[in-house]
Amino acid sequence: MSENGCLVQGAGLTKRFGGILANHGVDFQVDKGDLIGLIGPNGSGKTTLIHTLTGHLASDSGHVTIRGKRMSGRPAHVFAGMGVARTFQLTQLFGRMTVLENLLVPGLSRPRSSWPDAIRRARGYLDFLKLGHLEHLNAKNLSGGQQKLLELGRCLMLEPDVLFLDEPFAGVHPRLRDELITRIQELHKSGRTFVVVDHDMESILRISQRLVVMARGRKIADGPPSEVRTDQTVLAAYAGL
Amino acid sequence: MRGFHLYVLAAAALLALVLAGRMNQYWMHVAIIAMFYAILASSWSLLAGYAGLFSLGHMAFASVGGYTSALLVKWLAIPIPLGMAAGVTMCFLLGALIGFVCLRMSGPYLAIFTLGFAEIVRITFSTEDDVTAGMAGLHTEPLFNAVSRLPYFYTAFGLLALALALMGALARSRWGLFLRAIREDEQAAAASGIAVARFRILVFAIASGFAGLAGGFYAHYIGILTPSLGGLDLMALLVVMTVIGGMERLPTAVGGAVAVEFLLELLREYGQWRLPIFGVILLLTMRFARNGLLTPIWLQFVRLGEPQLAVATVPAPEVEGKDQRA
Repeated sequence: MSENGCLVQGAGLTKRFGGILANHGVDFQVDKGDLIGLIGPNGSGKTTLIHTLTGHLASDSGHVTIRGKRMSGRPAHVFAGMGVARTFQLTQLFGRMTVLENLLVPGLSRPRSSWPDAIRRARGYLDFLKLGHLEHLNAKNLSGGQQKLLELGRCLMLEPDVLFLDEPFAGVHPRLRDELITRIQELHKSGRTFVVVDHDMESILRISQRLVVMARGRKIADGPPSEVRTDQTVLAAYAGL
Repeated sequence: MRGFHLYVLAAAALLALVLAGRMNQYWMHVAIIAMFYAILASSWSLLAGYAGLFSLGHMAFASVGGYTSALLVKWLAIPIPLGMAAGVTMCFLLGALIGFVCLRMSGPYLAIFTLGFAEIVRITFSTEDDVTAGMAGLHTEPLFNAVSRLPYFYTAFGLLALALALMGALARSRWGLFLRAIREDEQAAAASGIAVARFRILVFAIASGFAGLAGGFYAHYIGILTPSLGGLDLMALLVVMTVIGGMERLPTAVGGAVAVEFLLELLREYGQWRLPIFGVILLLTMRFARNGLLTPIWLQFVRLGEPQLAVATVPAPEVEGKDQRA
């Protein structure tokens, strides 16, 4: 992918929590149209990397750029406004607000948005995610899988260029997981870019076009899934060697 | 008919205004104080109920607004409304400052921080008696040179209506939606494109401004101002009023303030025992009706005149979530 197609780039990202080095000089590039699977053992630094690339954490060194613009020190809502959306490892919804209101929040945060337009778009996405019949329920009353879908819908309301999904398949019933995968694939075909973090290797391998592997805070592999799966460093990292 | 409850409220307000002249002076005083607390309860509801910022410094802002207005009127001989406007401005700016300083605080940390602020204000007003007359009390200019309390009743009514109209418009706007999102999850709100810090500062400033408005009115109504106005006792009373009514809606907070103020007077014959009664009511509310005792009544009232199937056509900001698992 050409330089012009680079949406989000992290260069030399290092983040330390006390004595723990969560990310160590990580370079990570997301190009337009990518569908990247980001995997690694627990504690390998995947979520820290997502936090940094979406503005929820400031790195100790290195920098993040969005479409070539340096974002150091910018708050998370600026990242969201520039088309970088994300979900969370543990689903974070506005629990005591209705399903519809959950989507209206990002919908109305966009400049020049209006209530009627936001409501129309929100209902469109709810139908797309098969949550339309639940729009008046409080979000906390949805099942785990429905909450994951709603969180994806909240991202989509930002009309983002790139979506970072942190463990979207965790704890989700297989039927709803298939639903989620289908939606991600449809959205990718329509031009969205995705970075998906998960431990569900089967699901990740089903959807990824590029696989990035992290271990002990470093990126240890980056390439097509067929190559990465046979990479000896990756196999060693997963075997705990 | 949609909005039927608004017509009922308007008719009740009109009736109250017409019949106010027949009220005896004692109950009129109670009604005026109830409206003073209603402005405070509704603005605290905006801060704590909508935005989830549980501040214990709200009465301190009322105190600052009262003293600012009273002292400016005394020193500069400016018109009282101008003094009250200065009090509102002072509280707005001070609220923004406090909101900025405690940006990263929430829950008990924010409560303790604002409690500390309130105590600093109270003790400063107590000890600087050359300026504030300390605990002896600062004599203030009356808003009206009339024997009757009726002009004060109408003024309090007007200020409450103005405050509710402005805060209601805010609560129903996209800003109100963003404040509720911030209350639910700040990180998710930021990921949804909300400038969390900006809105936290803004709501602190706005709520504090309305507290300053109530304090300014109180100063020029009651005639004497003491530092105890900003003390923890009255703050606790404000919390009781708002929580019993229902802190997540402006009308229920107002209802709580009016109901508790009138009940306090009706139970006066029980002396100090009336206060534990309210403590018990508060405990029962927190245990069995966390959304407040008046919230279910208000929700039924709002649905007056609406057809049964109208839920699907209600605009999004008014939609009530149902507590049933999908």
